[in-house]
Amino acid sequence: MTSSPTGHGPRREHRKSLAAGLLIGMAVMAATDEIVFHQLLGWHHFYDRSTNSVGLLSDGLLHTAELLALVAGFFLSADLRRRGALVGAQRRAGFFLGLGLFQLFDGVVDHKVLRVHQIRYGVDVTPYDWAWNVSGLVLLIVGCALTVRAARRDGTRRPTA
Amino acid sequence: MTRIHVHPGAAVAEWGPVTELCVALAASAAAAVYLLTARRLRRRGDTWPWARDAAFVLGCGAVTWATSARPPGGPFTGHMAQHLVVGMVVPLLLVLARPLTLVLRGLAPGKVRLGLLRAAHAGPVAVLLSPPVAALADIGALWLLYRTGLLAATHENRVLHVLTHTHVLVAGLIFTFSVCQLDPVRRRWSLTARGTAVLVVGAAHSVLAKGLHGAPPPGTAFATHDLRTGAQLMYYGGDLIEIALAVTLAVQWYGATGRAHARRSRHGRGADHAAVAATRSDG
Repeated sequence: MTSSPTGHGPRREHRKSLAAGLLIGMAVMAATDEIVFHQLLGWHHFYDRSTNSVGLLSDGLLHTAELLALVAGFFLSADLRRRGALVGAQRRAGFFLGLGLFQLFDGVVDHKVLRVHQIRYGVDVTPYDWAWNVSGLVLLIVGCALTVRAARRDGTRRPTA
Repeated sequence: MTRIHVHPGAAVAEWGPVTELCVALAASAAAAVYLLTARRLRRRGDTWPWARDAAFVLGCGAVTWATSARPPGGPFTGHMAQHLVVGMVVPLLLVLARPLTLVLRGLAPGKVRLGLLRAAHAGPVAVLLSPPVAALADIGALWLLYRTGLLAATHENRVLHVLTHTHVLVAGLIFTFSVCQLDPVRRRWSLTARGTAVLVVGAAHSVLAKGLHGAPPPGTAFATHDLRTGAQLMYYGGDLIEIALAVTLAVQWYGATGRAHARRSRHGRGADHAAVAATRSDG
């Protein structure tokens, strides 16, 4: 464990802890989407014929990036933990921010702007869209609240990591 | 392009008994050479983890399986299972076994060893092993295979079929080798460059898989259910390999960062640059 030169114990890295949580949160929400809505419920279609090539490309990039984010988030977390630099509250806040950001991005950009696929087919999709995006917004707000609380708890409004 | 009717079973590569036997013999010979060399290293006192032996033998077994087995499911799904094993699983297993390091350590100093070292450090090899070129060779070949009449043509022509699958294996090996960078080659690439190569190839792979779900390769007529199952196998199978590649890179980073932290705690402050340098060179 590394001690800081000033002798106050290991230096706690706030921003990196938040980033680790953010990466894991986004990837976990993406995995939930893939497992629950694609595989278990079968609501999302694997491939929507109306998707254009831009939608397909962005979907492919995002999907690949999520997998890399999951691995990166866990290893970043492990590195912070072994140095005693992990700030649990920051990572938790980042996790909720990641969940909310991904859910909102998926709901707005993927479903509506790029029309990669819809939430469910053969029904009026409006209530589903509302439920989807509001839940994303709620998660994002929880994440913001946790970030503020984590910053206050440490008494450092401006993290030094 | 005219649609060729494909009989179930005929679409999965008919390798022919001679080719199957050649692949099995070559794989067994490679595994035997690896195991004997590793034994020699251990006897003279070198450390050589058993996991590498296991990876290499598994890789050789998997390539033999892919050429001789008839995977369950429709012809396209079966083809895709073979493709995943030959193009991604086998290369990863073989690269994790660090065959070049083993051979360089095992060979006595002399002409053969020097020649191999020269070849590994040659300019054209460095270009081929650079992540952008390796990525293009890998994904470009796949794109040609599934988005031109090449796949349909391989069903007609056995030589073309064998050549195509050999290319899939070699391109997969080059890509995995360049991204993992476990063996000693001249040019070292940063973690960012190698991570980007994984991202680009992974994205292209999933776009290709989704496209196959909607439209079959030109000139083929697979049953819809078979086509879709094969496309999903490609998509999710690719995910697993991509996670494995990402974990390989992350383990390198974790090790390099750990060593950098250890140095920093020994030498005090000011070693931040060492961490970056270590990630560049080791990881």
